[in-house]
Amino acid sequence: MRRFVIGEFTDPDDCVRAVLRLRGMGVEGLDAYTPYPIHGIDDALGLPRSTVPLVAITGGVIGAIGGYVMQAWMNGKDYPINVGNRPPHGFWTNIPITFESGVLLAVLSIFFSAIFKYFQLPRPYHPLFESERFRSASLDAFWVTVETEDEAAIPDLEQKLREVGAHKVHTVTEPA
Amino acid sequence: MAEPVLDVRRQLEGEPWVEGPIDDGILNKTLNHFVWKRPGRGWLMLFFLGLAGTAVLVNAIVITIARGIGMWGNNIPVGWAFGIINFVWWIGIGHAGTLISAILLLFQQKWRTSINRFAEAMTLFAVLQAAMFPVLHTGRPWFALYWLFPYPSVQRIWPQFKSPLMWDVFAVSTYFITSLLFWYLGLIPDLAALRDSSSSKRARKVYGIFALGWRGSSRHWHHYKIAYLLLAGLATPLVLSVHTIVSWDFALSILPGWHTTVFPPYFVAGAVFSGFAMVVTLMIPARRYMGLKHVITPRHIEAMCKVMLLTGLIVAYGYAMEHFAAWYSGNGYEEHVFFKTRAQGPYRFIYYLMLFCNICVPQLFWTRWGRRNIYAVWIAAVLINVGMWCERFVIIVTSLHQDFIPSNWAMYYPTWVDFSLLFGTICFFGTLFLLFLKYIPAVANYEMKEFHHELTHEKGLTELEGARP
Repeated sequence: MRRFVIGEFTDPDDCVRAVLRLRGMGVEGLDAYTPYPIHGIDDALGLPRSTVPLVAITGGVIGAIGGYVMQAWMNGKDYPINVGNRPPHGFWTNIPITFESGVLLAVLSIFFSAIFKYFQLPRPYHPLFESERFRSASLDAFWVTVETEDEAAIPDLEQKLREVGAHKVHTVTEPA
Repeated sequence: MAEPVLDVRRQLEGEPWVEGPIDDGILNKTLNHFVWKRPGRGWLMLFFLGLAGTAVLVNAIVITIARGIGMWGNNIPVGWAFGIINFVWWIGIGHAGTLISAILLLFQQKWRTSINRFAEAMTLFAVLQAAMFPVLHTGRPWFALYWLFPYPSVQRIWPQFKSPLMWDVFAVSTYFITSLLFWYLGLIPDLAALRDSSSSKRARKVYGIFALGWRGSSRHWHHYKIAYLLLAGLATPLVLSVHTIVSWDFALSILPGWHTTVFPPYFVAGAVFSGFAMVVTLMIPARRYMGLKHVITPRHIEAMCKVMLLTGLIVAYGYAMEHFAAWYSGNGYEEHVFFKTRAQGPYRFIYYLMLFCNICVPQLFWTRWGRRNIYAVWIAAVLINVGMWCERFVIIVTSLHQDFIPSNWAMYYPTWVDFSLLFGTICFFGTLFLLFLKYIPAVANYEMKEFHHELTHEKGLTELEGARP
């Protein structure tokens, strides 16, 4: 059963500072929930570099190669169309579609990998939604959360969150 | 000593991009106010008018499909007419949305934040209208699938990829999909905000489904930022490539008036020109009606006017170059198209209307009054839309109706079905847009909050610096 100890901040900079201090105290399972991406939180949480660009370039290269091969095979080999005795396989005339299919596959891979892999969405239910106050996380408040399995550690974590300046500190438990 | 420094600063920095006392809570309320409000009489009236116009569109489509494209005014030699004119016009309008959301993002033009959602929606709906025409103009849309897309059909033939028309299919479908996904990715955090600020259970559920369960975790934002930026980066070359490819539909043929190397840049500039005109046309009434004047300020309108002025000048240069090349080539057919058919022929009225709307009207934006007077800007924007439609008419119809052999010449007259399709798509576009304004936040909430935070942060710093002796 997962438990989330959560605390609210009204200023994004306080939120970043709090995360830094909590990490300094050795708290694990930290995350921050904010209405917009806030500056410095990536470093404060110690997140590694995002791998989205790798996904994008892989998708783009596969798309471009696929697009080119498709045209070369269809027009050059499988069903050559002779127009004015021009060579059935034309390099330059294949470029526009190669470019477009490269872009298309890059876009599709970015979008779907972001949704399914990086965000793990769609997930209409999450234990954090149990807290009505947490609704402000997408509106105008900045929440710092600590995820833990250990029930005994909760009072200590709540205390630590208050120490770094959080308001409305409380704990959300995933219903069994 | 500090005060004159601050004064100079204020003058250099210009007016604020966001007006009035504002914080995240106020932004939530004012930006989404229109979504939660009951639809007013004005909205309902426009919506039903739009629906009625959409009925005209449906009627025209049914007639076109049932009776064939003989119902259109097309003939030989004018085999391409309203269908392609409207296609190019709509696709061009779409370009402003991508320019605003992608190119301005990469150039860090922060003011785009207030208008990007709006402009992107316009792109989507405009491309949707545009896509209708190529499908309809095939006459038998149910065959269009294997004419246009390379899928393995029983006939075992493949499309001809050396044709710019095929490039167009790929360019437009890529453009539509990219615009849609980019728009939706930008929407997810705002849909979550709507879910979380909703007061009714049903709204919470519906917005909850579309928000996909977004929680705003920093671990997600971390990837989100880069994904959004990359999509913008990929949409940027699309702005240039789509209209370049559309222009190749013409430029790669040998018809006088089409066979010009200036076409790609001049088409792209024209697309951005008409797109910004459409954004302004829609935004001026919407910002007033929806109470968004504090985030879409006169300074935004002014900035858009400047873009229109710039692109309008590029378009004017394109016209000049076309005529120069025709004269300089010494080619009789080229000269005939530019100096006889267009300037003195039976369609000269549309030609001069085009010159007036696209070259004379935007000159208004040189003056501060012209950029500041809302009514003047709106009328100018509508005229530019008209002018850009005329441009496509001039390019397509005048070049085709008098080509190489006089015995081949014929006049083109559009029929009522042609006009219904044009009118109907405008209404359908309007209907979709009204639905968008009602159900989706028209200004990107989260980006606005981020922008506002940056502004106040910056202001705090500059005031500190200004106070320093």
